[in-house]
Amino acid sequence: MISYIIKKEAMEVSRDGRTRLLAIVMLLLGLTGLLAGWANYADQQRNALFAQEDDQTVFLDQGERNPHSAAHFGRMAYKPASPLASFDPGAAPFMGQVIWLEAHQRNPAMFRPAADSLELGRLSNFSVAGILTVLLPLLVFLLGYSALAGEREHGTLRQTLTAGTSTGKLFAAKYIVIASTGIALAAVTIIASAVMALFSPVALSATDTLVRALGLTAFYAVYVLALTGFALLVSALCKQSRTALLVLLGIWAVAVMVLPRVGASVAAQTFPIPDGAQVWSELRADIASNRVAPDSAEYKAAEQFVVSRALGRDVSLAELATMDLNASGLRLEVTEVLDYAVLNNFYADIYDRYAGQRDVRRWFALLSPAIALQHASSAFAGTDFVAHQHFSDVAEVQRNNIVRVMNEDLLLNGAGATTYLAGENFWEEVPEFTYQFPPVSLAWRSAAFDILLLLLWGAIATALAWTVTRNRLTV
Amino acid sequence: MADVLRAESLSKRFGTHTALNSLNLGVASGEIVCMLGANGAGKTTTINLFLGFLEPSDGKALIDGTNVQSDTTAARKLLGYVPEQVALYPSLTGLENLEYFMRLSGAPNISEPHLRSLLDKVGLDQAAATKPVQDYSKGMRQKVGLAIALGKNAKALLLDEPLSGLDPKAANEFCALLRVLANEGKAVLMATHDLFRAREISDKIVIMKSGNMVASLESAALDNASLEKIYLQHMHDPDTLLEAAS
Repeated sequence: MISYIIKKEAMEVSRDGRTRLLAIVMLLLGLTGLLAGWANYADQQRNALFAQEDDQTVFLDQGERNPHSAAHFGRMAYKPASPLASFDPGAAPFMGQVIWLEAHQRNPAMFRPAADSLELGRLSNFSVAGILTVLLPLLVFLLGYSALAGEREHGTLRQTLTAGTSTGKLFAAKYIVIASTGIALAAVTIIASAVMALFSPVALSATDTLVRALGLTAFYAVYVLALTGFALLVSALCKQSRTALLVLLGIWAVAVMVLPRVGASVAAQTFPIPDGAQVWSELRADIASNRVAPDSAEYKAAEQFVVSRALGRDVSLAELATMDLNASGLRLEVTEVLDYAVLNNFYADIYDRYAGQRDVRRWFALLSPAIALQHASSAFAGTDFVAHQHFSDVAEVQRNNIVRVMNEDLLLNGAGATTYLAGENFWEEVPEFTYQFPPVSLAWRSAAFDILLLLLWGAIATALAWTVTRNRLTV
Repeated sequence: MADVLRAESLSKRFGTHTALNSLNLGVASGEIVCMLGANGAGKTTTINLFLGFLEPSDGKALIDGTNVQSDTTAARKLLGYVPEQVALYPSLTGLENLEYFMRLSGAPNISEPHLRSLLDKVGLDQAAATKPVQDYSKGMRQKVGLAIALGKNAKALLLDEPLSGLDPKAANEFCALLRVLANEGKAVLMATHDLFRAREISDKIVIMKSGNMVASLESAALDNASLEKIYLQHMHDPDTLLEAAS
């Protein structure tokens, strides 16, 4: 029997001009956003690939040069845009795209598209995820506000129940049709995004893309289920469908438009991220306070470690005192080794602040499923701060490798030379920077709590809607 | 003959207000019973109790022996219901509305020829059957409502002011159809304000007042004037009574 109700509901939905119009507008907006996003991020990916190759060429062609000078000349690590960034750019526009890998410093990423855009330009950068997050509730609420209130108001509820069906079947059919419409719309755009992601200049594996697309579809589906529950809950509670519509529009404005912004603002106030000037002054202060005296045991141990690693064998302190090494090269590498922990701790603290911001927003997600969805969506699109941290950490390992190769060459080959120059072929010993996107397991770990919140939203909203419908829906 | 619709000491109270007080009423197969009474007399409450939309405070409502309160869904399957305003889905055609409600009721034959024959039987124009019901007149909607009741092959029909707002021709057609259905064996209980139409088509008339059944009359023994007189006597309106007597 429920299939007949579903068929009738679907027929009504398909004949409702307002719903058709909104669905078409959403689909067009989504596909336009997707195409615009894909063109933008594919271009960014191509630029990153080109720039990385160019950087490699320039580095290899520098001829004879002092290795430490080359370490300061540095390399660039270009972050390729995630293939799914065209679906959900997440935090990527705010996190920077290029990290300068140089001696002594772990630099923050440069070139943040959001910071470089004019305010009006930002408005035009609408993403598919943003459109779905904001407009799916409108579509679902438009489909659901009169689902029960309207039936009661127009008397069809009485007619339907008299025909011999139950409130449960009526509720289930309406729930299925409303939720299916929203989920279908989300699924179409996510599948289109995944297909386009496979054809990006820098693509993920097909399996990874599929798992991410399935995850995204599931999250948006649960979001739609929560919205459907809300719509039916309000529709069952309100005597008139017009009242239900007004209440739902109010919920939409608060939960989708206001709370995510308030949450982000409170999070930024609670866990402020230092700006560029602060980063440098705090970093210098941390490094200065960590410096140890050259005659200290810790410094000597670092020297022993550096030389042993360079030679590939254990060197005692006594042997070290007799070795003919380039003192400048040794000092530079020892300083690098001693500073690694400070630099890494500093950046770990910054990323802890990002995590703190996310935790604050999660409190707001208890009031709005849109926030939990934003977290889960950007995690699976590979555009959240966790994905950026992954890139930053890989880039830092590369920086460590470059500086080590430079310093060890100076240390071992520059003994006695007043100005040591490495040969023109030496630069090929520096490994090329290649970046592999993090596995999807990182996204699961990053978004596990948000996924749980979304599931809770879906379950609670649906259970509440059903309970209220069963107990309070009267003719 | 056993009653298809049966109220046994059926009562409904809302707080201290008694909407229906110990009603005992039976409607047999093939019989049309009309309930007359002013607004608030208990007519719609009686129908809602038979439909299972209200729970009785005392007594019980039975449909072909099935207690409405204990097995509402089964009882409703035995009923056809035509309210004052037949509620249909406006974007669906008459044919689609009929099919939908018949499917919900589990009717065995839902072929299009059968659906069209039902609409034909209630006098709905075939061309109108495929138009959205948002374009229907009230009379056309009432006809679809009756077709739904027919399609269910219900044993009893409950009609709540079905003639209200119908033009005389449509009301005549509707009443004639009710008579046909009763002759086919349906038990019909109709609430109405239309005394004369009630007398014409019913076998029995009951007069309700303040939740009580104050009179039960055989229609065949009445003419219009006597029915009006009895009705007004029960309504205790001396001025109107005087006017009717003159």
